[in-house]
Amino acid sequence: MIPFTQYVRGLAGDDDLVRLDGPFEIPVDALAAEALRASGPALRFQRSTGTDLVSGVFSGPDQTQHREARPWSRLSLGLGLDPEAALVDLLETIGDLGPAGENPEPTYTGQAASGTDIELQDLQFPQGETETWPAVTLGVASVSTADGTHWAPVHGSVVGGDTLRVRVPDALSSLVAAGTTMAIALGVPPAAITTAYVLAVTGQTATPIQSCGVTGTVPLVPTNGGLVPSATEAVIETTVADRQPDFRSDRREGWEHVVASGPLSLSVESVRTTENPVIPISPVGCPLADDLQLTGLATAATLYDRLNNYWGISPVEWVMLPAEAELGICFVASDILYGGFEWQLANILFSFSSLFDTVVIVDEDVPPQDFGRVLADFWLKSHPARDWMFSEPDAPAATRPHYRRDNETGSRLYVNAAWDPRWKETYIAPRVTFENSFPSSVRDVARVLWNESDIAPGVMTENESPH
Amino acid sequence: MPVNSLREYLDLLDTTGWLRPFDQPVSWDLEASAATMLANIRDGPIPVFESITGIETESKLVGDPYRGPQARPWNHFAQALDLPDGLSGRTYYDRVIDRLNAPTAPRTVASHEAPCKETVRTGNEVDLLSFPWPYIHEGDGGRYSNHHTIVAPDPDTEWGTWSSHRMMIHDSSRASLLLLAGEQVPNRYYYDYEPRGEPMPVAVVIGSEPTVESTADMWIPTGRSEAAFAGGLKDAPVDLVQCETNDLYVPATAELVLEGHVRPDDRLDEGPFGDYFGYMNGPRRSMPVFEVDAITHRDEPRIPFCVEGSGVGYGQNSTSTLRLVAAGPDATVGLRAAGFDVAMAVPWRFTSRTVWVIATDRPYPGYLHELANFIFTTWGMLHIDFFVFVDAAVDPLDPRAVLTAIALEADPDADFHQFGVERMPKVPLNIYQTPDEKGSADVGTSKAKTAKAYIDATTDGETTETTTTETRKRAQERLVEAGLDAARFDRLDEREAKSQ
Repeated sequence: MIPFTQYVRGLAGDDDLVRLDGPFEIPVDALAAEALRASGPALRFQRSTGTDLVSGVFSGPDQTQHREARPWSRLSLGLGLDPEAALVDLLETIGDLGPAGENPEPTYTGQAASGTDIELQDLQFPQGETETWPAVTLGVASVSTADGTHWAPVHGSVVGGDTLRVRVPDALSSLVAAGTTMAIALGVPPAAITTAYVLAVTGQTATPIQSCGVTGTVPLVPTNGGLVPSATEAVIETTVADRQPDFRSDRREGWEHVVASGPLSLSVESVRTTENPVIPISPVGCPLADDLQLTGLATAATLYDRLNNYWGISPVEWVMLPAEAELGICFVASDILYGGFEWQLANILFSFSSLFDTVVIVDEDVPPQDFGRVLADFWLKSHPARDWMFSEPDAPAATRPHYRRDNETGSRLYVNAAWDPRWKETYIAPRVTFENSFPSSVRDVARVLWNESDIAPGVMTENESPH
Repeated sequence: MPVNSLREYLDLLDTTGWLRPFDQPVSWDLEASAATMLANIRDGPIPVFESITGIETESKLVGDPYRGPQARPWNHFAQALDLPDGLSGRTYYDRVIDRLNAPTAPRTVASHEAPCKETVRTGNEVDLLSFPWPYIHEGDGGRYSNHHTIVAPDPDTEWGTWSSHRMMIHDSSRASLLLLAGEQVPNRYYYDYEPRGEPMPVAVVIGSEPTVESTADMWIPTGRSEAAFAGGLKDAPVDLVQCETNDLYVPATAELVLEGHVRPDDRLDEGPFGDYFGYMNGPRRSMPVFEVDAITHRDEPRIPFCVEGSGVGYGQNSTSTLRLVAAGPDATVGLRAAGFDVAMAVPWRFTSRTVWVIATDRPYPGYLHELANFIFTTWGMLHIDFFVFVDAAVDPLDPRAVLTAIALEADPDADFHQFGVERMPKVPLNIYQTPDEKGSADVGTSKAKTAKAYIDATTDGETTETTTTETRKRAQERLVEAGLDAARFDRLDEREAKSQ
């Protein structure tokens, strides 16, 4: 388990975080959004109040450009993996945080956020240019029931000195009543916020964390709400004041496209922080925002696990809901076991997720970090008449896209950009790659030429190696 | 001043650190291509191979000279046109479109003024094999010239028509030309010269100046001269000189010119070849024969070649770059001239000859269908299968924005439109048809037909920006001050400044 501040220090140590000194005349979320659009580093906003904000810590570079870092590199680091970790290693690690077959033994340690009780406004949450209230994002809500502690992602607004209006999954709302105590944890270990997202996107918010893998890795501490990670930067203890406030936010965190959510009005009882708290923020609604990346990875981890536990074998190489497509398309790489398997694969994905109604299937040898190849094969290997398969127009609309918001049914689409397993081997066109197109002796000559150069082009890429 | 020759262009690259000469002996037999492919994949400098083993002439090979940097593929070409460094893609398009809207007629020069005539070989002196035509991929059918401009006769223009078709070398005087019916020059051969039993005069121009090289890939309508558009691009006339053995005119600053004719009723094997789809594809087929009558060239000619197949996905090469930096602006001009309210037409950078993205307004119902119908029937639709329409406000040079538009706005139920089921022609270079479907039709198209489709990824209403343009610009400036790379921020360029 890596505490949040240690994680942020790690990003800085990897030159993947830039500090900006306040004061900030430009809205902080605008700065965060522009850095994300530019595939820039994470940002730390240093403020004289002693409470720093960080953005981009759960996001990463735009995969539509060739980059050394992956969109999942930062979260890999946060979950204790190497930043170079393969996507599937991360997906499996994320999957292990969720509901487990057995109850792991929890560890309890002292609360890091043990400072003097402060006012909510002292945290100075960022306020968007068109927003009425300061925004709280990337929070983990914790409530306690007879079954245990329940976690869910939470975001909302600071609407007064002691009032928060937030949105949480309906599954969490159903566990609380007026007067119920709820803790909101900000700046939790990456494993904890990832767990909250996993529970939300799988509709398992009602599953107590005592039954989840995260309990075995993240030390916990009790609050008046529920258990929270001991190494939480800020703990806001609240009581539920109104379960049906008149509160609508135009901005929705990524997880809200997956599960039904609703508003709560919370009365703030206490705010405790570490000595110099660092609180993550996400420019919700902007491209590549942290909440979008977390939702995409949590959903992909869930789908990956389900697909590979369905057929008795594990044909699926990877699943991706790229933030670059705003989670509106699911890409999957798989061994196409037999003719028609691609139809099964697409429709199982539609069964397990309502986020998207377009699936793109690529061959198992396409590496997820070579998204450029995915975006080429998408069109090159699919016959425009035979491999773009539309269902009957009787499917409910997916939750992420903007179209068909009137509850009308419509079609789903899968694009088969994988070789037909019924084709003869001689029909399969070999790829033009450095590895395939030149004998080893020639490859050696080429490498030596560049290696002797004082301006050699960059590092070895996937395209230079067989898969 | 815009550059006037390939050499000037290479010098320009040299001054910016984007050229890498190699004086070590390198073979044309896969080695030059392998080294070039590494650069293409890794976004490295442009390689020039100064010492080619086993050839009689003092030729040099240049690997994918027009490949642009992956982050800003238009940057080198913009400099060749004497446009400012660091333009955003949209601003670059605006500037090039302005140039294309003002074609400039070429001028003719005498032979003694034309660098491409420094050496003239005719009759028995003609020897194709004295030049280092590269063997590009293991598995290719032979050695190729694939980075050149074909000049062919056109009764409607004074200067002929320019295009680009790969050419496989067979012996000292013959090559096979990949002529696929449906394009102007192949059509001229298959449906005009060959039925009359006449040889078609042709010049293969190798190492042209940048604007010439770029116009060969444009869809210039019949009756209009590519030479004039090349002049418009460089804002100065292109110098042309008459061939030695036929009436065609060729760019005078070219490195090497092969004059000859395409024989009627004669075929030689062509292919297979690792082509622009990024896959080796076949089958080996019979294609028309180009017979060389004369060779003229500059001293120590630089022979450019393209490692086709390396320009898909993240990789870029000369042809994928030229499509983006030249064919895109040209297509935008063409669609506007046809009356369509198009902001930009841009090839999809991951597979530039299969998919195009068009940013456009929708002024009336049915507009997209009309637009799609127009381009499906008037463009070189043997290659392109898909058009994606996005809002005029969406930057089609930004793949993330396009992908988002497809994901969020294109309803599978209503926004994917197929133009008939397998009724359209297709080049046999594709990889989704079986060998049986490709067949070996006489004029080079697949035996089986295919479908074409367009995707309406435009919004149905207003989109709301949470941040004003001015705030975004100030945020970017603040981030640049903090040390982030300024080149990543398009809104810092003059186009945005003008809109304030």
